[in-house]
Amino acid sequence: MTVVGRSWDRLTLPGKIIFTAVPVLIILSVSLIAAIALLGGLVVDLLANNLPIVRFVVAVTVVLLMTIPTAFLIIYMEMKVIALMNLRIGPDRVGPFGSLLSVVHGLKVLMKEDFTPTGADPLVFTWAPVVTYLASVMTLLVIPFAPGFFGQDLNLGLLYFFAIGGLSVVGLLMAGWSSYNKYSLLGGLRSAAQVISYEIPLTLSVVGLILLAGTMSLNQIVLNQSGWFTDWYVFQQPLGVLIFFIAATAEANRTPFDLTEADSEIVAGFATEYSGMRFGFFFFAEYVNVFIISALTVTLFFGGWNAPFPWPWPVDLALSPGQLGIGLLILVAIVPLILTVAFAAPIWIVSARIKSWQALLGGFLLANLFVMAMVGAVAYIGIEWVAGLLWFMGKTYVFVFTFVWMRGTLPRVRIDQLMDFAWKWLLPAAFLNLFVTAAAIVVAQSVRPS
Amino acid sequence: MPISPAHQSTDDPRVTLDRELGVFEPIPPYPPRTEREAEFYTLGDGQMFINMGPQHPSTHGVLRVVLKLDGEKVVDLDPVLGYLHRGVEKLCENADYHQAICYTDPLEYVSSLFNEWAPVLAFEKLMDVQVPRRAEYIRVLSSELNRIASHALFLGWMALDLGGLTPILWSFIERDEIVDMLAALTGQRMLFNYFRIGGVNGDLNHEFMSRLGDWMSRATEQIDSGNALLNENEIFVRRMRGLGTIDTATALRMVMTGPNLRATGVPFDIRRAHPYSVFPELDFDIPTRSEGDCLARYLLRMDEIKQSLRIIDQCLHNMPDGPVMAKLPRLMRPRPGRAYAAVEGPRGQYSTYAISDGTDQPFRMRIHDPSFIHLQSVGLMMPGHLIADTMAIMASLDPIMGGVDK
Repeated sequence: MTVVGRSWDRLTLPGKIIFTAVPVLIILSVSLIAAIALLGGLVVDLLANNLPIVRFVVAVTVVLLMTIPTAFLIIYMEMKVIALMNLRIGPDRVGPFGSLLSVVHGLKVLMKEDFTPTGADPLVFTWAPVVTYLASVMTLLVIPFAPGFFGQDLNLGLLYFFAIGGLSVVGLLMAGWSSYNKYSLLGGLRSAAQVISYEIPLTLSVVGLILLAGTMSLNQIVLNQSGWFTDWYVFQQPLGVLIFFIAATAEANRTPFDLTEADSEIVAGFATEYSGMRFGFFFFAEYVNVFIISALTVTLFFGGWNAPFPWPWPVDLALSPGQLGIGLLILVAIVPLILTVAFAAPIWIVSARIKSWQALLGGFLLANLFVMAMVGAVAYIGIEWVAGLLWFMGKTYVFVFTFVWMRGTLPRVRIDQLMDFAWKWLLPAAFLNLFVTAAAIVVAQSVRPS
Repeated sequence: MPISPAHQSTDDPRVTLDRELGVFEPIPPYPPRTEREAEFYTLGDGQMFINMGPQHPSTHGVLRVVLKLDGEKVVDLDPVLGYLHRGVEKLCENADYHQAICYTDPLEYVSSLFNEWAPVLAFEKLMDVQVPRRAEYIRVLSSELNRIASHALFLGWMALDLGGLTPILWSFIERDEIVDMLAALTGQRMLFNYFRIGGVNGDLNHEFMSRLGDWMSRATEQIDSGNALLNENEIFVRRMRGLGTIDTATALRMVMTGPNLRATGVPFDIRRAHPYSVFPELDFDIPTRSEGDCLARYLLRMDEIKQSLRIIDQCLHNMPDGPVMAKLPRLMRPRPGRAYAAVEGPRGQYSTYAISDGTDQPFRMRIHDPSFIHLQSVGLMMPGHLIADTMAIMASLDPIMGGVDK
């Protein structure tokens, strides 16, 4: 044995890995730098020349990656909120306050056996979750999250949304049909009947809004609502919001319209025979759907990423000499207090073992962190972008919470009641909304010709 | 649908059956034995069978119901029983009178005290035992607590079968408190084995009384708040009203008892009709309703909880002093004869018919269980309704499969 060989043998496994990895990494980075230096200009030119394609690819990647933490967050939120409504503790083992439990669930689903039952049609059975998942995810492409932060600004964005969103029922039908199980079949047929029935009031409820906005581009609809919160379309289309939200609940198969996976009636509906990650895709699609429906409600009716007041207003209030410094007083004296309490409240609610002063201390620290993060964000990213994203997410999660709340409190409707409600109540109401809106627009134009 | 051999699994019925059969068909593998069976297992145009159970989230145990469906509508149904049969009646014949009581305990595991009470009462009639008054009061007190626990569970299951997640956990809080205090009294949370021939096993203790007093102070409020979630829920009420209606004549013909009969307007309660124990001394009402539908059955049970609270209150105020067990020999050989005793349980009439041949074991013991009787009328209520309604109807009858299959 040579000296080198003996020294090599004395190294531990990590040592060996590091000794081999470091030279490889050095060589790789040097070649990378060289490649950038040589080809960088070329690549940048290529990207700049094909900006729409680049933008599309980046947007698709970001949207696909974004769905996974979103689904995890909503699943955790549902577990915790329903637990609190049921007077339980809920998840509290994995991670702080059990927040990593949904991640562990995801890993569990990945490791489970992916089983195809006897008699199933393997091809359709395998592709069904993919269709459902993609149909949900692809609708995220047109939703504007923040100023300038959206996948594509289609001028037919709303139509695209409904068209692609309606595709998810194809996946459910495929799953129900190919499982070779009558419960699945019933679930699939129920979902077809339900989604097709509710698609009509859902689409009709926004036609009035399209008339008002004069566009179907979601980005333009959000821009139309900027200014004070009274400019939001919810105040011009109150009936429309109601119809839209109810129909969207049915579209997303959520309680009280979760007939397709009614566990006490047809076991798990279309997903009865699914296991492993194929079931995981259905599960993900459901929660992504919840997010998407909430996001669309916010985008259409609640101002999207707009703040409820014109943006420089709080700055004016704080710093304008005309306000006698009252705004500055609020900023210095009251905002830290509110932030502290706002951060302390969830800590205090979530765990019974934490005393109130401990929660307040934690809230104070978190508020400081939050302020620091905000200051950093202001300094480095640009306030418009961050604020828009925060407003959008905040509003969206209010609606996600509403969905979870409904799941915690409401029983399920029956299939005939579901159909009656769609055709006898929602559809006439949607038509009424449309006629009233159209008439109001005609009257307004004749009274005040622009 | 033809299945390629590559997908054939070992549990495929065709491995053992020579005739062509779908994999999940519920058709029995023998030729029809009765006319009814032949008629049921012949499919009409556009109909299909669906196997609900034995493993299904909402059949309250291992009940299998073969539904004949036309789309979502139930055309006909065939309950298949016996998945939980333990031969309790036969076991009781091979045990002496004391041991027989603990076999009847797990019949309806939700309300065990009533299952004990019926055979105990029958054996006491056989042996002419005089039960001390304090023991009778303790029996009434503990069994009324058990009735509330059972009805609380009914409330939760009912909501769960209709898709509501929260009420079952709220009602389990109620049940848990009651079961905890009964555990303090009897030493067990579920299968109490507390009633003995001639009295009860052990006097009231401090822990039981303090838990009971604590609970009684807030019971009404707590139960009302739990009910409000369902009583004022439009979806719930609309789904339950007019569903599974059964009229008085049919209910009597199907030998229904308990809340299911009282929901059709018959004020029949064994505690009043054929009084036993100290019920003649107690003041309580028999709530009735005239609609006979699922909502009436549900609301009636909620009214019964209030009456049970009244009875518990009176028991606590009138509790006499004295022994809780009669002086009896350890080995008892009653004279040859027969005795019948019935008690009013949370689901109806629990009764026992015991025959003695002079030995220390019952010669024959027949157990009448209300769940089994009520499950018969499911066939009258369900046809014409939707799949979702089968769960609601089944839940509103409140059968426990342990009692059905014995």
